[in-house]
Amino acid sequence: MKGYASLVKPYILWMSLFIVVPMLLIVLYAFTTSGNELISFRFTLDNFFRFFDPVFIKVLLKSLEVALITTLLCIIIGYPIAYIIANASEKSQTLLILLITLPMWINMLVRTYAWISILSDGGLLNSLLGFIGLPQMKLMYTDFAVMLGMVYNFLPFMIISIYTVLAKLDKALIHASHDLGANPLQTFLRVVLPLSLPGVISGITLVFLPAVSTFVIPKFLGGGQYMLIGNLIENQFITVGEWNFGSAISLIMAFIIMASMMMTRKMDRDASENTGSEGGKLW
Amino acid sequence: MRKLIEFKNIVKSFDDSLVLKGINLSIHENEFVTLLGPSGCGKTTLLRILGGFISQNEGHVYFDDIEISNVPPYKREINTVFQRYALFPHMNVHDNIAFGLHIKKQDKQMIEQKVKKMLKLVNLQGYEDRPVTLLSGGQQQRVAIARALVNEPMVLLLDEPLGALDLKLRKEMQVELKKIQQEVGITFIYVTHDQEEALTMSDTIVVMNNGEIQQIGSPTDIYNEPENRFVADFIGESNILEGVMLEDYKVKFDDQTFECVDYGFEDNLEVDIVLRPEDIDIVPLDMGRIKGVIKSAIFKGVHFEVVVETPYREWIIHTTDKVELDKEVGLHFFPEDIHIMYKMGTY
Repeated sequence: MKGYASLVKPYILWMSLFIVVPMLLIVLYAFTTSGNELISFRFTLDNFFRFFDPVFIKVLLKSLEVALITTLLCIIIGYPIAYIIANASEKSQTLLILLITLPMWINMLVRTYAWISILSDGGLLNSLLGFIGLPQMKLMYTDFAVMLGMVYNFLPFMIISIYTVLAKLDKALIHASHDLGANPLQTFLRVVLPLSLPGVISGITLVFLPAVSTFVIPKFLGGGQYMLIGNLIENQFITVGEWNFGSAISLIMAFIIMASMMMTRKMDRDASENTGSEGGKLW
Repeated sequence: MRKLIEFKNIVKSFDDSLVLKGINLSIHENEFVTLLGPSGCGKTTLLRILGGFISQNEGHVYFDDIEISNVPPYKREINTVFQRYALFPHMNVHDNIAFGLHIKKQDKQMIEQKVKKMLKLVNLQGYEDRPVTLLSGGQQQRVAIARALVNEPMVLLLDEPLGALDLKLRKEMQVELKKIQQEVGITFIYVTHDQEEALTMSDTIVVMNNGEIQQIGSPTDIYNEPENRFVADFIGESNILEGVMLEDYKVKFDDQTFECVDYGFEDNLEVDIVLRPEDIDIVPLDMGRIKGVIKSAIFKGVHFEVVVETPYREWIIHTTDKVELDKEVGLHFFPEDIHIMYKMGTY
């Protein structure tokens, strides 16, 4: 095994070059004023203070709200699906999981474009409505469209991580619960649900974190005025050209993500301690 | 004793294989019944049908004279100790034991009292707050028993509950289980493939093979009067030979005629004969009824397992005396040591 240790070196080089260095650059930009020259930096905290403007705070809160609702919807929709799959025959389990993951084979951008053509004013859905004689609906550039796109994109992560735990659940525990007089509902609430919490928690990590920083979905399905924190950062870099401010927001975002990761990890640890299993840990 | 459970013509198949081929069995109150047989004989399947976890293809199950085939497991007055205990890993010892009582919404104080009593019964006082995942196999076993018994079931099902324990612990638990059964005074139905375990604990042993019952009887009956070659072979070591029942009290094997105590067979019927290794004595050459040469002697702790070769077969004999290899000896046994059985499939 020892001989293979040196194989890690190219990766270290790769990662430092393309991950660590750019990140350090972001930190550098965040703490300096614009118009830097290569040798002289003017350090400042202004970029961070600037963020504490009601306009930007509102964007942050909106992002958290959208991510939170997305996560909740994913749990509410994903749990029953995961439960049904986990209780299906082994053959159908494989097939169903394949179907759930199938859309992930296609680029997220492409899938989001597909939603545009379904939801837009002259799109598939409105054509159908017109066909059966119902009034047209404004679907694009609404909260509904953004939420739909978010849930659609992140749901598979939630389903897979809950399914993994449920599928591993010892069926004897369910028998034991029935044996002790608990009906199917009581068994679910007292045995299955608590034991599947680690899966829900890793699902939350997998959905909430990307959802809070996404910018493609709100941009395409929410329209230009739909501003989430991801879009704000994108704008600073691409439209406004304020790299320093953009970097500062990125850092704030990174901090929030790290904090929520630590929180979910702690929850995960508590849950697995209680279940005494390693179940549900995807990392 | 009152009849509590009755299986009537239970047939069960999984996919294409027939696992139970028409089981008829009655179990009484306060009885310690063991379903004994090799793996795949259908004993666990029968237990699961009684627990309600699977349903039979044909036949009826009666509990207290009421058909329960369509009653879901959570409505049966039966509790189970599962093969790998199936304790709830997210609960501590107390909550595991109290699970059934909580479901029945019993009074808090009552629950505490009953849990305490159970912990005492299984010798786990002071373990209330321990997470079950940190207990040893033997302790988990006790929690599983307490969790089942606290519901005061009329019948306790035990599905190879000692299989995962080491030999010493298994022996201790055998004694303890029997003690618990006598203390709580309910019916235990115990599934095992370990014949010694069955002989130690049971009031009644049901020997099963290939989805059929081979013999039902007390441990001594099963050991001393096996009904066929399978039972004789499965319960302890035996010399099983083929012979002919010449007439009542006279059997012929290895070209010699021997006196025996069995009667009521057809004259000249081909039969199977059992001679237990501990019933045969090694004696000086001229005093034996059969002559042979000692081939091997293996020390087994309490006794030697000796193999004596005759022109017809090798005999296994258990003796506490030391023997000399390659020595010509005689074998002696009494008429009552010869046990005659019908050949399988002829009765």
